[in-house]
Amino acid sequence: MRHSLTRRQLLASTGLAAGGLALTASGVGAQSLSCSDVNVGTWGGDYQDLLIANFEKRVLGGLKVEVAHDVANAPPRKTKLVTERTARRGTMDVALLSESDMYEVYKAGVFEELDYSKLKNGANIIPALRRSYSIPHIYSGKIILYNPNKVSPAPTSYADLWDPKYKGRVGFADGLYIQIIESAAIINGGSVTNLEPGKAKLAELKKLDAKVYPSNEALAAALKSEEVWFTIMWRARGVQWRNAGIPVALAVPKEGATPIIFEAAIPKNAPNKDCAYAYLDAMLDPQGQAGFAAKMGYVPTVTNATLDAKLTADLSFTADEQKKFILPDLEYVAKNNASLLDWWNREFKG
Amino acid sequence: MTALAAGDRRRSLAPLLLLPAAVLVLAVLGMPLLTLFRYSFNRFVPGQLMVEAVTWDNYARFFQDPYFLNVLWTTVQVAILCTVLSVILAFPVAYFLARTQSRFKSLLIILTVFPLLVGNVVRAAGWMALLGNQGFVNAVLIWLGLTQQPVKILYTPAAVVIGIIAVVLPYMILTLQSVIESIDRSVEEAAANLGARPLTVFRRIILPLSLPGVLAGTVLVGILCMNAYATPVLLGGSQFKMMAPALYDQVARASNWPFGAALAFVLKVATVLLTLASTLALKRRTTRD
Repeated sequence: MRHSLTRRQLLASTGLAAGGLALTASGVGAQSLSCSDVNVGTWGGDYQDLLIANFEKRVLGGLKVEVAHDVANAPPRKTKLVTERTARRGTMDVALLSESDMYEVYKAGVFEELDYSKLKNGANIIPALRRSYSIPHIYSGKIILYNPNKVSPAPTSYADLWDPKYKGRVGFADGLYIQIIESAAIINGGSVTNLEPGKAKLAELKKLDAKVYPSNEALAAALKSEEVWFTIMWRARGVQWRNAGIPVALAVPKEGATPIIFEAAIPKNAPNKDCAYAYLDAMLDPQGQAGFAAKMGYVPTVTNATLDAKLTADLSFTADEQKKFILPDLEYVAKNNASLLDWWNREFKG
Repeated sequence: MTALAAGDRRRSLAPLLLLPAAVLVLAVLGMPLLTLFRYSFNRFVPGQLMVEAVTWDNYARFFQDPYFLNVLWTTVQVAILCTVLSVILAFPVAYFLARTQSRFKSLLIILTVFPLLVGNVVRAAGWMALLGNQGFVNAVLIWLGLTQQPVKILYTPAAVVIGIIAVVLPYMILTLQSVIESIDRSVEEAAANLGARPLTVFRRIILPLSLPGVLAGTVLVGILCMNAYATPVLLGGSQFKMMAPALYDQVARASNWPFGAALAFVLKVATVLLTLASTLALKRRTTRD
């Protein structure tokens, strides 16, 4: 089954996010669970620490559920999930992935369709972010980052990165190839279901000596040393970098920002499903959501969690910006990812 | 008689001691390799990850595609260059360590091993700080007035070669040191006594006798170089491709497991062939000498 997020749905639902913060405890407290352990496949570092602080200690601690973490980056987690899919009993109860990775693994038949009646906080999910097989955990959007000391006037469109006066000053992170191709496609007559026009547009940028860095950290170092002045990046990371003293300012392109959602799902062969549902429900707890999102620089995915005014200004998208959200077509991405990566490696980077 | 029989029994049971290790290797290495080999004959259908099939398409794609052949050729070149340079750089150090009478010898050997205590990624991060445009090396070059603008070192093949050699050098030094130490010093002294110059002693005595160490070190280091991942990714930049990062790209980013598995086996076979070739070449040299 294919999920579909329409712009109208997202707009209608995110408007509800202005609601007040609900201080009620998670509804799972009343449940009696048939399990006492849950194994969560997640990223390590801050991500893991924030899961522990905001959801596990606060909500799950009261349920006497022991949490084990299977810490890895997304590629090994995807590989493990797909490899284990035929096993009668898997090793992960909850898997966290970005939306495109989640969709790809879902299409491989790994995740079960969620029973939302088991998620008391499920009703508060921003409807457009809700999927049949996963809950949204946090989200942000793809925007332009630029060096305010070097770039004037401030950019308003992805097309500004193609200005010849900034030759050699545009740099990208290798991992965001799909997002970069999408940005180029959007300003060259393409759409989320046709990224092909992005190739010709990026070929122009290659002639302007655009650079590709092997990791986000390498790109951050290049922005900090002012080797490059422009990039396309997640807003959350832009705010983190700006707070860390890297000279970047944020600009939401007039073409529209593209949301990125991080999600959680339950494999069909999860050994502790009751606890997995309790974990997912805890992840939707409004207080935990606000705490987690604020620290990570992302925006909550439930309508009853809110951020303070400064964080909202930094991290959130205005109603107008939300109207213009470009929602990726995950089916198109799944089908064309390999060939787009091939083109990116050979033609753009080569 | 009874004692002898008991000894025979013990000896006949001895091979059984290999069983736990053999079973373990078979289970955790052999079986996954076989599974991966099977995957390499499957078909990749975008959006479906992997479809069961028996096809040579993935191998055919590799050998018909100049891009991937070039990636393999780059890998082989880097591996050979790094291995040869590491032998040249390691030999004097290994010779010194083998022959020194210093009471700090153990400390020096520990210092040689010291870099191995730090992971490859951390070491690469250190090289990034040294070789970057704003790094230490460029700061010194500019300070000395040798250049006005930073010299691009990071994200070049040279940075990868430097980084890989730094990773493999301790292995080469330790392998050579143990072999040189086993060469009787009196052989060198006899040669010198008969009028051989130091270079002749090295060429005619030390080098031929240490060839088993050179061979072992070359094989060990060659395998590590062929399969380098973190160093080429972090120091070579995104334009520089070696086989290990390329197959990671296929498995993890393109989700093309069948082609990734085929790349893994091409890399494995290439590594084995290079290892055999270097072994044969060095053995022939030993026999000739």
